[in-house]
Amino acid sequence: MVDRATFHARGVGLARFNPWAFASAVLAIVLLAPIVAVVVAASKDSGGLWDHLFETVLSLYVGNTLTLMAGVAAVSLAFGVSSAWVVVRHDFRGRRWLEWMLLLPAAVPGYLIAYTYTDFLEFAGPVQGALRELFGWRSARDYWFPEIRSMGGASLVIGAVLYPYIYMMTRAAFLLTPASLFETGMLSGRNLFWSIALPMARPAVVAGLALVMMETISDFGTVEYFAIETLTLGIFNVWLGMNNLAAASQIAVVAFLFILALLTVEVLARAKRRFNDTSRRAVSIRPKPQNGWRALACFTVCALPVVVGFVIPVGVLLNFVLRGYSLALSAPVLDAALNTFVLAGIVAFIVMITAGFLGFVGAYKSDPLMRRVTAVASAGYAFPGTILAIGVVTAGGAMDEGIAVVMRNLMGISHDAWLTSGIGLVIVACVVRFQAVGYGAVTSGLERLPTSMVEASRVLGRGFGESVRTVVVPMLRMSLLAGGLLVFVDVMKELPMTLLLRPFNFETLATYVYQYAKDELLEEAALPALMIIVTGVVPVVVMNAALRRFTRG
Amino acid sequence: MRTLFNGTAKRSTSVALFLATVSTATLALAEAKAAEVLNIYSHRQPFLIKPFIDAYTAKTGTEVNIVFASKGLAQRLEAEGTRSPADIVLTVDIARLSVYADRDLLAPVRSEILEKNIPAHLRAPDGRWFAFSKRARVLAVSKEAPDARKISRYEDLADPKWEGRICSRPGSHVYNRALIASFLHASGAEKTEAWAKGVVANLARRPQGNDRAQVKAIHEGVCDIAIINSYYYGALKHSDKPDQREWAKAIELVFPNQDDRGTHVNISGGGVAKHSKNKAEAIRFLEFLTSEPAQQLYGSINFEYPVNPAVPILSELRSWGAFSEDKMPIGRISELAADAQKIIDRVRW
Repeated sequence: MVDRATFHARGVGLARFNPWAFASAVLAIVLLAPIVAVVVAASKDSGGLWDHLFETVLSLYVGNTLTLMAGVAAVSLAFGVSSAWVVVRHDFRGRRWLEWMLLLPAAVPGYLIAYTYTDFLEFAGPVQGALRELFGWRSARDYWFPEIRSMGGASLVIGAVLYPYIYMMTRAAFLLTPASLFETGMLSGRNLFWSIALPMARPAVVAGLALVMMETISDFGTVEYFAIETLTLGIFNVWLGMNNLAAASQIAVVAFLFILALLTVEVLARAKRRFNDTSRRAVSIRPKPQNGWRALACFTVCALPVVVGFVIPVGVLLNFVLRGYSLALSAPVLDAALNTFVLAGIVAFIVMITAGFLGFVGAYKSDPLMRRVTAVASAGYAFPGTILAIGVVTAGGAMDEGIAVVMRNLMGISHDAWLTSGIGLVIVACVVRFQAVGYGAVTSGLERLPTSMVEASRVLGRGFGESVRTVVVPMLRMSLLAGGLLVFVDVMKELPMTLLLRPFNFETLATYVYQYAKDELLEEAALPALMIIVTGVVPVVVMNAALRRFTRG
Repeated sequence: MRTLFNGTAKRSTSVALFLATVSTATLALAEAKAAEVLNIYSHRQPFLIKPFIDAYTAKTGTEVNIVFASKGLAQRLEAEGTRSPADIVLTVDIARLSVYADRDLLAPVRSEILEKNIPAHLRAPDGRWFAFSKRARVLAVSKEAPDARKISRYEDLADPKWEGRICSRPGSHVYNRALIASFLHASGAEKTEAWAKGVVANLARRPQGNDRAQVKAIHEGVCDIAIINSYYYGALKHSDKPDQREWAKAIELVFPNQDDRGTHVNISGGGVAKHSKNKAEAIRFLEFLTSEPAQQLYGSINFEYPVNPAVPILSELRSWGAFSEDKMPIGRISELAADAQKIIDRVRW
């Protein structure tokens, strides 16, 4: 009995066979397979292309990527952290609505917001049209207007749909910060935000920011539409323009190294601080009622991100629909909607199981090396979707070969495309890609969970599996739910991998919209595009309802 | 220890159950395919292909399945190897088509019908790929700029007198890359790079948007000359959106280089997948695409020119003007694509 209880505490995991660590190693390997396939592709000869790239465009790609990352970080932090603090700290008219509406932009895919903003802000759009009307200008040569298809425009629109990652994680962290700490702060006359809330929430902010940065690096839709030459755009120029997948994969790996560097910084920063709150249930800070101009200021801070990230793009799409530009709701569209829902549900489920498993085992049952491997296994997010999809298709083809042989020999089944037919590969690809979202949610939840809880449970004689099931999972159900819903929304929006890996005649809403959007004909597909957003809203509302119930205790 | 293993066992049972469900579903999907089917990997959007498929199914009863993606289908086909379900590959430009041929993913086809219906410079000598429609890379010029309407060659675009008056999508888009490759073929590397540099120096704004957006830019007075694919003009002129019809009214088309090598054309095309299990049916479909009704569809759906010289060009297309095309072997364009991209990188188009 005692021996079992101290199994973990003694740290003999390495010397003895540890089935948990073994299982998570296997899982990590499966998740890493597509990434390895990309690296293998990158190890092939690129025909001396790097000389050319160094001489011509590489510095431009890297510079643009870094600038875009900085811009998106600024926008998403400004939107996400400020609004999270305001809704937690202050009570004002409209707060209960804005609290969840702030999550809505998460449902808007990047490629849609880029398109709708161009329509909104360009010469023929309503904004410039109104200005011309007002000042009597006639042609574009008569006045200056900021170009939306620019670095600034890209930072704004990408930041405007990605900040909800930061908002959600940061708000949860603010809510989970015990009121007692704030009271201490008040007594000693400190600024509550800068000296207490923000430092306490830092792991959550950083975790959210890491996701935002990964998605920014791998974004293709927006940067292509705005013609911002980032590393990802360069990957596609090299791959499709020069028919050189090896060099393209090499650039992808370079971008991946960016991410690894970021993650390392983050892990190092986090390693130094670990807060354990031992009180049974933390009481959240009570929001302070505000009136008059202060309430208005609060309202503005929270409403602005919603308007920029949701109201305007949805308004533009609605306008297309109302003007009758969009095709009507038809059976194929409804089919696509159903497919989307099923796919997103399956992926979200698998991701939360695998991320939860890796997270728990990593936290309680393995050594630092293993933890690092699992962290890297969730880095598929950093690759542009199409490149990852090629990794998946290559790895999947090899696995299929193996499965087919086994099936033929063991069971006499001659069917030989297990993964590469059907939606198997799409699921694998999405699980690999969105692992980071689930894993991030799990680990940032675990960070706040005192290790003493599990230790206590183990001392009381429960096994690790049972401790996780009865202690950790219930305490983390909010993080698990939030992660699962984020993954769900992400899969709904996902385009490049689904597009490449799906079976015949299988459309999701995103792929359906893309066949029009590809040719800048989004008006035609405005209705299905709206459906992506509206269906994305449902989990957002669920998530919020759960969060609210949770914080009320 | 017992508790520990119990937990594992329970979990693995449920995982196994789940996996079983997924593979059964996959299997069911695979089995659902009937005998007379044709599977297409397409770079062309479904809504542009559907009319062809409907016509073919109506004629032959064959069920046609399609998967559309714009990037990476060649890698998918390659990874699937002999297990691939694909019978036919369709693309919208020559460069991507030759990628399939270069990777040995297409089967050589001998068909008298295809050879009769498609001129030699628009198909691979070994029958691995065929062109089914043509699109011309033309100049759109503003009706309000009389001097611009006199432009007559691609070469003129580099003339400093057009400084700040030209619009273009990014150079690295396949359509521009192919144009630059055709220039390389005609004039060699040095002249091409000097030309491309001159064009970039004349741009009114950073290259952006697609060809539609360039016509719009002329309508808005941003520039007077743009390089576009011919079918965009038709799509705008006959759009159901009034404002797009206005854009089309602002321009007229110039078919460049009529007194020398002719206007650069690109193709949409396809071939039979190497590991197709249904090659005869696949060839029959390709032959159908070169028949008169299908060739007419290319014009009426997407304002493209037929490749089959025996098929009359749609009157709408004829009204834009007759032109002679650059008859360089179209496959040469993809051989020169990488060099073209290098020039694009250097001049930052």
